[in-house]
Amino acid sequence: MTSIAAPGSGEATVAARRRRYMERKSLVPLLLFLVPSLVLFSIFVVLPMVDAAIFSFFSWNGYGPITDFVGLDNYADVLKHRNFGTAVRNSLIVVAVSLLIQLPLAMWCAIALAERSIPINLLRTLFFLPFMLAEVAAGLIWKFVYDGNYGLLPVIGDSLGVQMPFVLGDKFWVIPAIMLVITWKYFGFHMMIFIAGLQAIPSEVIEAARLDGVKRWQIVRHIKIPMIRSAIVISVFFAITGALQLFDLIIPLSNGGPSHSSHTIVTFLYQFGILRMKLGFGGAVSVLLFIACVIVALAYRRILFKVEQN
Amino acid sequence: MKHIALAAMLGLAAVLPVQAQTVVKHLHITSIPAEVELMNQIAADFMAANPDIKVELPFLENEAFKAKLTTLLQSADAPDVFHSWGGGVFYEQAKAGFLRPVEDVLSQEAKDNQGQAGVSAFTAPDGHIYGVARDVSEVVLWYNKALFEQAGVDPATLATWDGFLAAVQKFKDAGITPLALGGKDKWPAHFWWSKLVVRLAGQDGFNAAARGEGDGFAGEDFVKAGDYFLQLAQLEPWQEGFLAAGYGDASGYFGDGKAAMHLMGDWDYGAMKDNSANKQGIPDDQLGILPFPTIEGGKGDPTDTLGGLGGILFSKNASDAAVKWVEFFNSAAQQKKYADGAYYIPIAKGAADGMTNPFKVQIARNIGGAHWHALFFDQALGPNVGGVVNDVSAELAANSIAADEAAELIKEAVDESL
Repeated sequence: MTSIAAPGSGEATVAARRRRYMERKSLVPLLLFLVPSLVLFSIFVVLPMVDAAIFSFFSWNGYGPITDFVGLDNYADVLKHRNFGTAVRNSLIVVAVSLLIQLPLAMWCAIALAERSIPINLLRTLFFLPFMLAEVAAGLIWKFVYDGNYGLLPVIGDSLGVQMPFVLGDKFWVIPAIMLVITWKYFGFHMMIFIAGLQAIPSEVIEAARLDGVKRWQIVRHIKIPMIRSAIVISVFFAITGALQLFDLIIPLSNGGPSHSSHTIVTFLYQFGILRMKLGFGGAVSVLLFIACVIVALAYRRILFKVEQN
Repeated sequence: MKHIALAAMLGLAAVLPVQAQTVVKHLHITSIPAEVELMNQIAADFMAANPDIKVELPFLENEAFKAKLTTLLQSADAPDVFHSWGGGVFYEQAKAGFLRPVEDVLSQEAKDNQGQAGVSAFTAPDGHIYGVARDVSEVVLWYNKALFEQAGVDPATLATWDGFLAAVQKFKDAGITPLALGGKDKWPAHFWWSKLVVRLAGQDGFNAAARGEGDGFAGEDFVKAGDYFLQLAQLEPWQEGFLAAGYGDASGYFGDGKAAMHLMGDWDYGAMKDNSANKQGIPDDQLGILPFPTIEGGKGDPTDTLGGLGGILFSKNASDAAVKWVEFFNSAAQQKKYADGAYYIPIAKGAADGMTNPFKVQIARNIGGAHWHALFFDQALGPNVGGVVNDVSAELAANSIAADEAAELIKEAVDESL
């Protein structure tokens, strides 16, 4: 955020520091400090990833040595699996809802709540609370809200004189119901990122604009949003990768059902790869997901780079 | 990594005999506090009599146990003996060489104790015995007598499938939910498909299909099982929102007296009380058990039952001391204590004789007199095929799949795993 407050100065100090490092030839301490994280990263991230990629070329149920090489069969099985298309579609819906509903909502709340005052702080905390809740706990709470027999939703329905559906047992309603929970759970996080960005905008800029008679909406459109661009960039990235990896909210809410209609790519992987003990199949799903994430990350960087140049 | 783990295990095995005490790790899934206390007591008695053996009883919750066991068995922390539901998962473990054959170590008394069904349940296709049977369970049609009276349904009319469907309609007309079903968990739905298959295809038909012979699970009897299931599903017999209800929800729904029947294992006797709103459930005098309706022309024997046959397996590093412990634990004298507590129906000969709970007594009699005690299909067929069976059963219950398509999906899964 400091680079927004004082453009240029942050980068200058970083460059200076780097020069000083080179001058002192202090590569040794640098490596020394890197070793612990490199070791941990290799053991817990790189090795499992390589393992999963190897599994994906074998038929393996988790027992005994991995010997049954099947080439690309697992990938073919994944692509023609009757539920894989649904899982991909659902993951894309989550991405779309995150970008088109969640982030604008977060932005709107952030702009409304960026001032510092006690009631606003309270509201902000309230909106941020769902994010601090554990995913499984949030899932269980909403499962209760949606429960058609004992939940909150039928009570609301009764008072309005409407017969509410059993949303989590209905192939159509289960998706909107999950999207509502996702939006509720994560918009506070993005709101906080935006608020941090907004609070770093020098008040003189806004004041100057006001004195020049710039309208409220125009201030948001032409000053505030462009000035928190880097916060938005981060938020969008988190929203996309988070959406692609969505797992722990789905399990307690619908467990991918009814009839596998609410799987995301990761719950699909867990259900058909891990629980059914087809680890090669699961490996293939995870490799496909990994490739998708890498493509998104690279494409995102590229697009941003182009925008920056323009 | 695997080499290190193997080396560590070998190292451990080399060190163990030198120690004064042999440690036996028995991994179990018992969670009811009083039952755990009983197990601890039995272990304490055993250790008092065998000071050279130390029994440890690590616990894993049911679902965690299933998810973790595969990895655990291949680690240095593998248990010596552990719980098993038998069937396909057990066969995989045996095939991979994670188990110790015990037919030469196990005493004749311990073998006889379990009866023929028990011994064959823990004999792998390679002919070796890898464990002992501990308990039996059966899936029965629990029913609520008060609701039957209210709707004017005579339980005797449910003896045949047609009579059963007519009764379901009668409950619908009376505004009572005929059946509770935990469709979200899927396995409760697979009991319906399984019971229909037991009636229609019988033991030989099922075993042939599981081996992939002929049309396999796409054969006539299995399509018919789907058709009968759909007949029932078309009456919309389940509670509203059954696809969102887990087993516990459905069990509580029945326990609260909101549904007339619940097709469930004998464990639902306790679970139905525990899941009900007032923790009392249906009082014993209002509760009844019905046999699953018979189907005209079905190839199954009317005495056939469906359920579980739980046991204890020996992992490959199990010592002779582990065998000694299991023999003691599974003896009639110890297992009788489980029967007295109505925790489960022990298989050990004579252990269940003193059982007083009328439902458990009747279920024990059913299984004892069964021509074929079919193991839970999702266990018997292994995790992959079993998972598909659960999937299509839930879809059949929701009337959202055709019978021949359902049968074809199961057949495909079998073909793939053969």
